[in-house]
Amino acid sequence: MDELIIAGRKFNSRLLIGTGKYSSSAVMAKAIEASGAEIVTVALRRVDITNQNDDMLTAIDRDKYLLLPNTSGARTADEAIRLSRLARAATGINWVKLEVTPDPYYLLPDPIETLKAAEILVKEGFVVLPYINADPILSKKLQDVGTATVMPLASPIGSNQGLKTRSAIEIIIEQANVPVVVDAGLGLPSHAAEAMEIGADAVLVNTAIATAADPVKMAESFKLAVQAGRMAFVSGAAAESQKASASSPLTGFLRNE
Amino acid sequence: MNVLKVNGKEKTFAPDKMPATIVDLLKLLGIDSATVVAELDGQIIERANFAATALKDGQSIELVRFVGGG
Repeated sequence: MDELIIAGRKFNSRLLIGTGKYSSSAVMAKAIEASGAEIVTVALRRVDITNQNDDMLTAIDRDKYLLLPNTSGARTADEAIRLSRLARAATGINWVKLEVTPDPYYLLPDPIETLKAAEILVKEGFVVLPYINADPILSKKLQDVGTATVMPLASPIGSNQGLKTRSAIEIIIEQANVPVVVDAGLGLPSHAAEAMEIGADAVLVNTAIATAADPVKMAESFKLAVQAGRMAFVSGAAAESQKASASSPLTGFLRNE
Repeated sequence: MNVLKVNGKEKTFAPDKMPATIVDLLKLLGIDSATVVAELDGQIIERANFAATALKDGQSIELVRFVGGG
């Protein structure tokens, strides 16, 4: 597959994978391996001082995968900036998946706070990958302030509804000069393939893999779907038409007319 | 008694039992410092500075680490 380049860094995989909701760190590690992903998202939370769990970081080989901390839980630009700075201090990595989701029911991203935070974080030297609604104008504004990608949602986080925002994402892709990573709501490999077929540069999947009965096999399914979708996109899709167009010759039939 | 607010919860210490530094606090709580980042009264403290950062009565400290997320 052709390389994906984000902020000058090259990746062979176009599937980014989240680490939430796995039944165990061991299953997660195997699923990440099977997915072929090279970028792995993590969240930052308070240490539970009454109940020590094993740390996520130990299950992820940091030489092999780029850790992409998210700012999940942030409801304002200020909270997202605080989380980004903490994440950078924790990892030494200046990449951040910027999420500002004030609404707990649909977890839809706040465009105004996201743009505000993006502008400040870019100035502070962060590589910013913002999670947004499928809004072409917002995408342009984020690119203008220097984000490394835009990450429009397919449907609400964890909903597995698939590519409900397709037509808006097509506009975003048409106008983008940074990679477009379709994030959130992709529930099946076919959803991921569809996003890749319309020209998305990559997709991010978490829930659909982590909560499958067999996350490792599902991770591989998504890997293949993303590869197929990308290959289809670069192959140039054949035209769609209203009427039938015979695939076999319309001459030489065994009948007399 | 000395008071430290740790992750939003107040913890009280007799003056002679008060952890002197962030490293001492983590030891007391049984937390592996290799994976933690701290914020003391709103200032980020990198791991390399945990041993050198003194704790005082009335301070508020946040201890955070990575968890699974999408």
